[in-house]
Amino acid sequence: MPALHRFAAGFIALFHRRRAEQELDAELREFLDSAIEDKMRAGMSRESATRAARMELGSATAVKDRVRDVGWENIVETTWLDVRYAARTLRRSPGFTVVAVLSLALGIGANSAIFSLINTLMLRSLPVSHPEQLVELLSRYPGEPRMSSFSWRHYEHFRDHNQSFSDLLAVSRARFQVAAEGSEPEAIDGEYVAGNFFSALGVQPALGRVIDGQDDQLGSATAASAVVSWSYWTNRLHADPAIIGKAIIVNGAPATVVGVAPQEFFGLQVGIRPSVWLPAAMEPMLQKPSRQLDGTLGVGMLARLRPGITIERALAELRVLDRYRIEDFAKSRSAAFARDFSIELEPAAAGFAALRDRFATSLVVLMGMVALLLLIACTNIASMLLARGAARQHEMAIRVSLGAGRVRLVRHVLAESLLLSAVGGLIGVALASVGAETLVRIMLSGREFLRLQQRIVIDVQPDLQVLLFTAAVVVGTALLFGAAPAWHALTSAPASSLRVHGAAGETRSRRLFGKTLVVLQVAFSVVLLSAASLFVHHLSNLRNQDFGFQRTSLLLVTLDPSKSGYAREQLFSPYQDLLGRLEGIPGVRSVTLSGVTPISGAGASRFIRVEGFDEAAEARRYVPLNWVGPRYFETFGTPLLAGREFTFADRGGPPVAIVNRAMARYYFGDKNPIGGRFQFVGPSNSGITGAPPDQMYEIVGVVGDAKYLDLREIPPRTIYLNAYQEPRMPANRFALRTTDRPGAVASEVHRIVREGLKTVAVSDVTTMDDLVDASVVPERVIAMLSSFFGGLGASLAALGLYGLLAYTVTRRTNEIGIRMALGAAKSDISRMVLRSALGLVCAGFVIGVPLALLSRRAASRVVSDLRVDSMWPFVLATATMLAIALVAAYVPARRAARVEPVEALRL
Amino acid sequence: MSAEQKASTLVQGTLHMLILKTLALEPMHGYGVGVRLEQISKGVFKVNAGSLFPALRRLERDGFIAGEWHVTENNRRAKYYALTAQGRATLKRETKDWEQQSAAIARIMSASLGEL
Repeated sequence: MPALHRFAAGFIALFHRRRAEQELDAELREFLDSAIEDKMRAGMSRESATRAARMELGSATAVKDRVRDVGWENIVETTWLDVRYAARTLRRSPGFTVVAVLSLALGIGANSAIFSLINTLMLRSLPVSHPEQLVELLSRYPGEPRMSSFSWRHYEHFRDHNQSFSDLLAVSRARFQVAAEGSEPEAIDGEYVAGNFFSALGVQPALGRVIDGQDDQLGSATAASAVVSWSYWTNRLHADPAIIGKAIIVNGAPATVVGVAPQEFFGLQVGIRPSVWLPAAMEPMLQKPSRQLDGTLGVGMLARLRPGITIERALAELRVLDRYRIEDFAKSRSAAFARDFSIELEPAAAGFAALRDRFATSLVVLMGMVALLLLIACTNIASMLLARGAARQHEMAIRVSLGAGRVRLVRHVLAESLLLSAVGGLIGVALASVGAETLVRIMLSGREFLRLQQRIVIDVQPDLQVLLFTAAVVVGTALLFGAAPAWHALTSAPASSLRVHGAAGETRSRRLFGKTLVVLQVAFSVVLLSAASLFVHHLSNLRNQDFGFQRTSLLLVTLDPSKSGYAREQLFSPYQDLLGRLEGIPGVRSVTLSGVTPISGAGASRFIRVEGFDEAAEARRYVPLNWVGPRYFETFGTPLLAGREFTFADRGGPPVAIVNRAMARYYFGDKNPIGGRFQFVGPSNSGITGAPPDQMYEIVGVVGDAKYLDLREIPPRTIYLNAYQEPRMPANRFALRTTDRPGAVASEVHRIVREGLKTVAVSDVTTMDDLVDASVVPERVIAMLSSFFGGLGASLAALGLYGLLAYTVTRRTNEIGIRMALGAAKSDISRMVLRSALGLVCAGFVIGVPLALLSRRAASRVVSDLRVDSMWPFVLATATMLAIALVAAYVPARRAARVEPVEALRL
Repeated sequence: MSAEQKASTLVQGTLHMLILKTLALEPMHGYGVGVRLEQISKGVFKVNAGSLFPALRRLERDGFIAGEWHVTENNRRAKYYALTAQGRATLKRETKDWEQQSAAIARIMSASLGEL
């Protein structure tokens, strides 16, 4: 067992280092003494014997080193020594250390932060058995994000007819009023699940049992069963094991708690943590009318692929089965509309794709940028280390002469790099967790999340994966920026650098290498800066495009009359009064109300038939609708092109409508649309209007095109109806055009609503500007972060440039002195320095601009509607870089110009 | 090629075996091992301290030899190395291997065409 013996002995030696050292010393001394005695016995004088013996022994230090190298514990020891030595060296140059550590902390921190988001949203597997077998079914409609939304009816069809899946499960999100025994009801997130939900996932209960197929039978005796989440059980049910078999009250109906889900199981959608799971068969007991009974309960579907079945094969089968869904749509809506639906399959080891789809693009783009940022930081530190290496050549040479092995020197240089990188990494991890939290908060301020009922919680606390990733980045970074100095330590020639002091070892190739590093920094920075200006430009295009309405100075107030005691039929005159009173607020120009707020992401639409316009069934499209009050177009600032706005007086009169220009063009061409008539056909998918079918509407006005659902869309053909002609009030969204800051009148609005409509709640107050901002969150995040990273990268590059120039000026002080003595003017000297700076920067541009062009092409592939035709981002980026570089070059240039010829020559 | 260089090339594989053999005769301190090797080999192997001490340390670490401090004949303290049971077994095995190998090599080196 030599290996075991070696290990144990090394371990002991590690803790008895001093004694081991003393013994080795004594042994060598004894060796030397014996040798001297031998030689004296052979007739040498003590003096010459001593000298000869010492010569034979060689360097005692070297011998001891070789003996020490035998044990593995030596590696531990010397590494510790290397690290301590590195720490001492770094402490001696605090300026360098601080800059290096900070830039590394930012670089590594940014990488770690973005990665932890990617990890949480895209990579982390669900805590279920064999998550890699899971796939998600997604429905796609052209021009819309794909959705995980199907009907229970479709689920049953897929479930009963597929051959590809060993299990197909359905889950429907819901919000419940839940009360445990003796507590007040509270609104919590829950899910209706198909009976095979838990068994298909392989999730074992922490307590009790899970919902099974028996529970999920309509009318089953155990349909009123509930599995609660671990956190609900601990926080609301006091972690009481006796709860199993007792009832909680869900939406007023009792449900027996049959089990507690395991602690790590949070459901299938990252970000949403349901507290209770109910069998889908319980839905009819809680919802009236039930959607489960008529098969329209909205569900998401996850499937487990049978062994050996590929995603492609499963998808081929699903496409056939999907005809059922399309025919179903065709029956209820229109064949043309239904035909456009398609089905997709997506690996779902990480759960449902909704959040992933929303943010993957931004995160991938950001990951690319932070990687580039770290590369700049690396290059920057490498060039600083090289400059320091040149200064420390002398020290290195002495160490080599004293018997230090080359390997030891390289290890020392690498220890320094690793130490820098590790300290940077530690600070980086701290920065990352703050950064990731902030990023999550910003991302969740998006419009689609404001509207969600569910509470979204995205946990980005660094887990093992993130820490491993960060550690890998730390080591990789250290190797990257430590490689050049280490290589240099390995190849430096000690003798020559000991001989020539000062400009020692400053070879041509090394200078060229230093310059190359600066050029690379500039190049990478140009890429980052042009990406930044590209994304900023993209964002401002989105924000400042023509919406078809004036977005500034528009206050949006949503009322909720549902619990007010007013029936919707009764709201017409109270709302009319309210409009009048709101108009009276000083600073308010006009007020209106509408059923839909533009670009809020929600809306209603119907099929229409226009009198005198024959439209093929395939060409028929849903036409977005809005119910608006008088002065709507005046308030929103949408131009009235022909005809008139709605009035209160229309109430009771023949039904009228206003259409937008796109609609007028499409249906009426060059003819005058005023007086044209249309009617709605097919079922309503809005549920708002109570107008009788076949009602004819007469067009009384034409307005400019305006964005409807989203600010990225081309304004669709849109119909506006008069809210005051509906039998029931369809509009609860008030809009106030103000003369200055819209927020200033908000409190007055609150007061007036309270006074006039005591029981009606104000459910939301915002401004159109905020709504625009909330609609462009991913773009804002990218623009903001890319500007930050671009600025940081450029600053680092400037620092690198400054370092190189300052060093060059110091090195060339002598030469500059001679030039000045020979009659060069101060301005010539500073121009010389600036010129070399300019040379480096331009070389950086030559590499950077093509790189930037390439990365823009890559970015345009992932970021939709990114403009790729303009050269402006590059002009802007290069100009910015140039300006920053000139500032950086200014200081050394001035110092060069201040060189006193006499002083310089004396050096 | 000088004797010392020859020694250092030989050392790689066989120094450990030679040291074990030397110590099998009697326990000895570092200097003594070096002198004994030189003596027995009639000056062909001259082992310097830079090779000897690391080898001793390695054998000690492997558990083949054990050191103990004793007073020398000159009244100085020295670390005397002795074979352990494990070391004895290893030496036996290596000796056998070596004999087989060297016999084979000798046969090859002395071979003439006629014998084939």
